[in-house]
Amino acid sequence: MESSLLQNYGPTQLFDRMSNHGSKIAKVVMQPGQDLFARTGSMIAYEGLIDFNPNPPQLGQWLKSWATGEGVPLMIATGQGLLYLADYGKDVIILQLAGEGLSVNGKNILAFDMNLQWGIERVKGVSMLSGMGMFNVVVRGHGWVALTSKGTPIMLDTREAQTLVDTDALVAYTDGLQVQPKRTMKLGGLIGRGSGEAFQLGFSGQGFVIVQPSEDARPTFSVRG
Amino acid sequence: MATEFVRGQKSQLSALTNGTDLYVGIVLEAPGDWDISCFGLDKDGQLSDDSYFVFFNQPKSPEGAIQKLGPQSGDTDSFRITLDKIPAKIEKLTFCAALDGPGSAKAITRGYLRLVAGGTEVMRYSFSGNDFSAERAVMIADVYKKGVWRVAAVGQGFAGGLAELLKSFGGEVAEEEPAPAAAPGFAPPPAPAGGTPGFAPPPGPPPQQAPPPPPQQAAAAPVGGAAPAAAAPDLPINAQPTRPGAMVSLQKYKEAPTTGRWTKQSSKMVKCTLGPEAYAKRGSMVAYQGNVDFDYKGSGGLRQFFEARMTGQKLQLMRCTGNGEVFFAEDATDLHIVELNGQSLSVNANNVLAFDATLRTEIQRIESAGIPGGVMFSLLVSGQGTMVIMTHGTPVTIPVQGPTFADVNAVVAWTAGMRVSVASQVRIQRNIYAGVSGEPAALQFMGLQGHFVVVQPYEV
Repeated sequence: MESSLLQNYGPTQLFDRMSNHGSKIAKVVMQPGQDLFARTGSMIAYEGLIDFNPNPPQLGQWLKSWATGEGVPLMIATGQGLLYLADYGKDVIILQLAGEGLSVNGKNILAFDMNLQWGIERVKGVSMLSGMGMFNVVVRGHGWVALTSKGTPIMLDTREAQTLVDTDALVAYTDGLQVQPKRTMKLGGLIGRGSGEAFQLGFSGQGFVIVQPSEDARPTFSVRG
Repeated sequence: MATEFVRGQKSQLSALTNGTDLYVGIVLEAPGDWDISCFGLDKDGQLSDDSYFVFFNQPKSPEGAIQKLGPQSGDTDSFRITLDKIPAKIEKLTFCAALDGPGSAKAITRGYLRLVAGGTEVMRYSFSGNDFSAERAVMIADVYKKGVWRVAAVGQGFAGGLAELLKSFGGEVAEEEPAPAAAPGFAPPPAPAGGTPGFAPPPGPPPQQAPPPPPQQAAAAPVGGAAPAAAAPDLPINAQPTRPGAMVSLQKYKEAPTTGRWTKQSSKMVKCTLGPEAYAKRGSMVAYQGNVDFDYKGSGGLRQFFEARMTGQKLQLMRCTGNGEVFFAEDATDLHIVELNGQSLSVNANNVLAFDATLRTEIQRIESAGIPGGVMFSLLVSGQGTMVIMTHGTPVTIPVQGPTFADVNAVVAWTAGMRVSVASQVRIQRNIYAGVSGEPAALQFMGLQGHFVVVQPYEV
């Protein structure tokens, strides 16, 4: 059968533990002993023998996160084969940590290697000023992480200058950067005539910030009519 | 005329001087023994070649583009930078000061870094211990290449000393080895350079060599190794592993070099280099670097306010002022940079993301018998400047050659000067959804050559 679907979108070559298939699909090579945390429901296909455990006892830590509202329902994938992951058409960012730490907004986690150290941390300064807490997933160690971003993301180098980011557009940043909340306080902002940019987080130090081209705060679906 | 920089401020070098032969003077008044050095870094921010680590033991880069001149003209330390001679692989020069011995950067009583070109001081960045805490080194400023050469006042503390600073840039420190072992990569210490014609440091005593380093510092010399130690994790597939490290994985998402005032970062994000002010849709800033202020921008008077209310062509704008780079994006819509060059464009106000403050906007009436309610409105933008238009999905630009029709809700923009009316013959009454009054109208465009209509694949 001749078809552009077959010719152009067939499986891509394997190089790494994780790779991109197109910009919106993550492909993970599963091996015994190298289990993976993945967002529940993100599996779109798999080859081989892979088991999914949606509520494993190892995830007791997440109970704490549900209490904080930053619930990232995760499952554990084990087995051998190829696993394809995606999250409702969002772009997928794949990165390999070499001992670095990464602080990721819970909404933007797609999958990460189980051998990474991880935990939930409150982003410093956010709760005090904006009234809402912001909790991030911090992963650290040697291994692979897949993130999602609404639209093509951009990586900004914080070594270049202090980088200020809208909290709604923030995807992830190097753990250990100096984080400083910044409020553009103007009298007008108090009487409802603000610029719409009342609050940002400033990052400085050795590292980077990943920003998505969307302020994902609004509900994705709205009822029409 | 020296421009005073504040921490975090960046500028194109060409905005300060046209010269490429620069004198960098650093003053640092603080207790303790401070070593001032310059790191020549590659595009990954790594010291890929340790002959570009210019410090007291190596006062010159191989081709002499970076030279350490030592104290002179009242400066604690000084450098000569010849930008033309710097090899292409070096994209960033970071000037750092590191403390040898006890103490911290908090104790700095006074310090500044200045750029001198042709004997005139063009830029000065002052700092003091108040900017820092218990750090033992300070990254003062960067001269870096991003499209063109730029300068940034960094003013950032670093916890470790010179050796740790070197490690963080990917260099290696030889541990307590005899000096000759560490020597191979070194150029022979040249005679101190100074008084070269054409390059004019401010008048002052002749340059001297830096004070001889204490013995244990002599061992802090970089040897070999560019890449960070190969501590690659064990990966299941080793066919062609990429270099590990989050920064390496993310290279493809790197910021695009600035090519003008408005730079496209991806199809969904633009960067605006401020200087002259710009207007943008409220809340569309996703990130910025530098000193930027965001301020409410009103509709300009009560009449305009009511007009905007009535017509629905309301621009919810904010004013962006200051110095720096601002990144705009809105809900992952596709962005398009349009340069008006004195022409005018009719736009649906809902599709406007940002524009130069030099552009004029006014609300325009489209009158036609077929329009329910009698009139329709659009926003007419004209003048010299650039605007950013957003569309949901890839739009289609249709040259107007015969009568051209577009759905009112999908049309994004059209060139001014066309005859616009409602095409009653294609009016559809769509009462599929209860409560929706139906598709109001299709617009008909009539124009001569050169006119076009932009339509997005999306109906609001």
